[in-house]
Amino acid sequence: MMNYIWAGLIVAALGFALWFDGTEITTGRYANGNPLPATIEIPATAATSDPRTLVQVSFDADTFAGHFHRSPLSKSERDSLTVAGELTRGSTGYELRLTSDNLPVPLNEIRAFHDDTNKSLRATLRGLPADLQPGGKATRWTVQLELPSVRFVKLKAITKAAFDFANTAVTLAIGLIGVLALWLGMMKIAEASGLIAAFVSIVQPFLRLLFPTIPKDHPALGMIALNLAANMLGLGNAATPMGLKAMEELQKLNKTDDTATDPMVMLLALNTAGVQLLPSATLVAIMGLSSVRLFLPILLVTGLCAVIAFFATRILGALPVFRRTNPDLSQVPTTGG
Amino acid sequence: MQHYREIIDAVSLMILPLILVGLPVYGLIRRVPVYEAFVDGAKEGFTVAVRIIPYLVAILFAIAMFRASGAMDMLIELLRTPMAAIGIPPEILPMAIVRPLSGSGSTGVLLDLQKQFGSNSLITQIAGTIYGSSETTFYVIAVYFGSVGIKKTRHALPAGLIADVAGVFLATYIVKWLLW
Repeated sequence: MMNYIWAGLIVAALGFALWFDGTEITTGRYANGNPLPATIEIPATAATSDPRTLVQVSFDADTFAGHFHRSPLSKSERDSLTVAGELTRGSTGYELRLTSDNLPVPLNEIRAFHDDTNKSLRATLRGLPADLQPGGKATRWTVQLELPSVRFVKLKAITKAAFDFANTAVTLAIGLIGVLALWLGMMKIAEASGLIAAFVSIVQPFLRLLFPTIPKDHPALGMIALNLAANMLGLGNAATPMGLKAMEELQKLNKTDDTATDPMVMLLALNTAGVQLLPSATLVAIMGLSSVRLFLPILLVTGLCAVIAFFATRILGALPVFRRTNPDLSQVPTTGG
Repeated sequence: MQHYREIIDAVSLMILPLILVGLPVYGLIRRVPVYEAFVDGAKEGFTVAVRIIPYLVAILFAIAMFRASGAMDMLIELLRTPMAAIGIPPEILPMAIVRPLSGSGSTGVLLDLQKQFGSNSLITQIAGTIYGSSETTFYVIAVYFGSVGIKKTRHALPAGLIADVAGVFLATYIVKWLLW
């Protein structure tokens, strides 16, 4: 199952990216190769000695929309059509850098495509006299901007995303080391002092209903209970190490190296359903006081989801396709095939 | 409701220091070499984290590519009409789709909806309920199975996704029924 979903995600990404880039070329979203009409205003205060001149660039709303083959612009888009720029005279003519943070669509996309730091968009300028002398009085010029061309935006985006998130994955995993070490250390003390065994005997009447194949008095039951309890109290920091410890105990009962057993799948299902008595701190931070109203709905949804996850796991586990791979049933070869 | 929150808040605030102090003290009473036991257990922290890396890279890069491709927008467009027909506001679809895939992504979606519609709108409250009532399914699967080297995950992903889909429907209907 994982094989198909994983490969499906990657293939779908490539397919959609190609389709999107293809339609973009035919609809002319970036108007590649066509100069964009603009008005630039050179202020009176511009110093003659400075090779860079700060200017204001503005676009006419209808010309702009027509140029990029877009429907008429909204009010807020019309307001974003005046932007700051920096004019430089080079050997081949004038160059304009648009330096505003908020560039109108699709200029912001063109900028992001050509500048990884996303700071400025460079364009070549046509229509200014070569012997322009800034200073004296403010002047306005009608000019043409030659923007760099943009092709295969999504193709570039998916490649960049793949490499970026490969790094993110490592950062995430490394970031877990400290918390994992702290909790796994504590759990070792609890184990050595006999607390886990005592805890197991308390929770097992209930937990053995959820996990009938775990042997009686097995420490896995205690770890699972701790993991579920930590989740409920919103102790995300503690829940993951305890969950991983539970997985380790369950793996000791596993006859294979690489195939999930029924109790493992059940533990995962209950964790992904995320039973919580308390909304996470992030939710409160984003929604403020109105998150208070969500306590009851979240409690109900999360509880019902856990029940659904339980039954879904049981029912799916009984299907022939998943039964066949169950490591606990004898007809399975001991190593994965 | 306010009391409930305060009680749970207090419990979760107190429980961690209690465990962190209580365990070593209890261990000492039971004559366990607590320092040695702690270091022994903590050693595993590093190996577990490193063992997770390949699984996490596999899952995260595939999801990142899928999100960057614009496939999600297409999916949302496709589902818009059928979802509206059964009473699910199309605006919450990004949340429903991103939630199992990416934790930071779904936080972004919630922030976005909150900015667009405000905290007291039906849309934001349904999205907040979905956000608060489920976990990042793909991440949990990568981390948990990765830590013990399980590659054949059997029905874990389908079961998790069934619960996620059910969560979207439940969140919509329960919020509408309780709050609106």
